[in-house]
Amino acid sequence: MNPLTFTLKIQPKFTLGVAQLTPDNLAGLSKTEIKSLKLPYGKNEMALDTLFSVTGSDSNNIQINRSCDKLVSVGRNMSHGTINVNGDVGKVLGSYLQGGFITINGNAGSWVGNNMSGGRIDINGNAGDHIGAGKPGDTFGMTDGMIKISGSAGDRVGDRMRSGMIIIYGKAGDFCGSRMHAGTIIVLDKAGKNPGAGMRRGTIILVKKPAHITATFKSNGNLKIQFLRLLFTQLSNMGKEFSIFKKFGPEAHRFSGDLARNGKGEILILQTLDLNKVA
Amino acid sequence: MKATRIIITAMNLKWAHRAANALIGFASSVIACGCEADIERELSPSETPDGRPGISLLIFAMSIKELKKQIPMRVGQSVMTTATTACYAGIHDGQQIAMGKRLRYFGDGYQISKKINGRRYWRIPVMHGEFICEDTTGVTEAVGGGNFLVLAKTARHALLACEKAVEEIKKISGVITAFPGGIVGSGSKVGSKYDFLSASTNEAYCPTLKGQVDSELSDEIGSVLEIVIDGLDEESINEAMRVGIKAVCSYGPKKGICRISAGNYGGDLGPHHFYLRKILK
Repeated sequence: MNPLTFTLKIQPKFTLGVAQLTPDNLAGLSKTEIKSLKLPYGKNEMALDTLFSVTGSDSNNIQINRSCDKLVSVGRNMSHGTINVNGDVGKVLGSYLQGGFITINGNAGSWVGNNMSGGRIDINGNAGDHIGAGKPGDTFGMTDGMIKISGSAGDRVGDRMRSGMIIIYGKAGDFCGSRMHAGTIIVLDKAGKNPGAGMRRGTIILVKKPAHITATFKSNGNLKIQFLRLLFTQLSNMGKEFSIFKKFGPEAHRFSGDLARNGKGEILILQTLDLNKVA
Repeated sequence: MKATRIIITAMNLKWAHRAANALIGFASSVIACGCEADIERELSPSETPDGRPGISLLIFAMSIKELKKQIPMRVGQSVMTTATTACYAGIHDGQQIAMGKRLRYFGDGYQISKKINGRRYWRIPVMHGEFICEDTTGVTEAVGGGNFLVLAKTARHALLACEKAVEEIKKISGVITAFPGGIVGSGSKVGSKYDFLSASTNEAYCPTLKGQVDSELSDEIGSVLEIVIDGLDEESINEAMRVGIKAVCSYGPKKGICRISAGNYGGDLGPHHFYLRKILK
C-alpha cells in the first residue's frame, strides 16, 4: 500500500493546523471523508481538499509534501505509525506524541515534542527554541521518547524535561537543559551559555566546552564515566544514523549541579575526541 | 522452575569471571542454596550492552518469590563488590524481578536512573567509579533436574568421562550444569528416614553399600557420578543430555565406563521426563 500522501496545493498565508492528519485520526476513513475534513486555517476552517491533494491509502504511514513553516501541530497526540514531512514545519511539532515516528526533511519551529511521552521525532534540519520543553503552566516538558535534530536548535532545549532523550548534531542555544528534572540531552557541537541552569537531575552531554557554565555547578574533575560507555554502545547499535557514537569514549569532565536547586544533575564534557572531526 | 539470565561485564574477562564465580558460589542445588546458577557462556564485547567483555549466567529457582530474593542478594554481594563490573538483564520479556531497582539504595540518594531505548538502568556511585545495573530482569519458565548417571570402574574413570561430557554440554546455549565442575559427587534421592530431611544419599547407587542395600550396581562398578542439567526449555536439555551421554560413551568400557543410567525418582521429580534411549535416537 502506498502511504497516504498530502501534497500542499497552495502556499498558506496563515497558520494551518494539521493535528488531524495522524494515523490515529485517519484510520478507517474513506478518501472522501478525509478530503472533507476541516482544518484550522488562520482564524477560520478550510476543507482539506482545497489545501491538499490526497493520494495513497495507507493511513498508518502518512506523508506530507511541499510543506512549509505555516503547518503547525504536525503529529499531535499520535500514538503509532509514521509521518514523513518533506519541507519545513511550524510550531508544536509532535506535541503530546505517545508513540510512532515523525520524520521532518526540513526545519522545524519551536516547542517540538512539547508534552511528548513516547515515540521518536527526527528533524533533518534545524529546530527552534524550547525543544522537548514544557509550555508555561506545564509541570514537565517531555516525559519520554527521543528527539533527534541533525542541525542546530535554539534556546532552552529540554527545559523542565522529565525523561527521554534529545540528540542535537549541531549547535544548541543558551540555557540548554535548563530546569531539567531528568532525561538526557546530547549536543555534538557548541552549546550556548548556561547549560543546565536550574536543573534538578538529568544529564547534559556536550562534545565541546559551552560558552559559559553557571557558578552553581561544581567540577568533579576528569573521569571515566561507565554510563557513557553503555549509552554510546546502545546508541551506536540503534542504526547507521547513530554510528558517530562509536567514536566516543567514556572520558569526560563532569560538572554537578545546579547547586542552587539540589545539585543532582550533571554536565559531561567529553574529553578524548578530535573535535574538528566531530563537527 | 523459573529462570532468568543476567549479563556481567567488566574491564576484562578476568574480572567478569571473578564476579560470575562469586555469584554462582553456593548455588549448586535448590534443595539448600535457594537457586541453581552457572555460567552459560562468555560474551564478546559486541554481544554486551556496554561493549565490554562479559559473561552470561543462568539462574534457576523453584519460584519467582525465591528468585526475587536471590537475584538482588547475589548481584549486590557478588557483582557490585567486584571491581569495574556492571550487571544487565539477559531476558527482557516475561514477569520482571527487581535487580538495580533494589540495589539502587546502596547509592544512598546519589544514585541516578537513566532510561535508554525503553530500558531503565541505575548508576550507583561506588568507590571504583560507577556500578551500572539494569532495573529489572525478566523471568521465564524453565526446566530443571535433567540428569544422567555415569557408572564406572573407579572414580578416576567416571570423573574423566564426566569432565568431557560437561565440556560438550557447555557448548549448548540455554543450559547449565550448576554443581561444582558440572558434576555431582553425592547424588541424592527424594526423602529420608529422617523427617527433617527432604533429600538424602541415593544408597542404591553407593558402591560402598553394595550387598547391604537393594543396590543398582553390579560388581565391577566402583564409582557413580551424576550430571544434572537445568535448561530454559526441554529441547535444549534433550540436546545437552545427548551430547553429554555421547561424550561419556566415547570413553567406553576400555576406559572404565560400565553403564549410563538416570535418576528418575519414580517419575515424581517433575512434569518433564527425559528418556535416555529416545534422546539418543
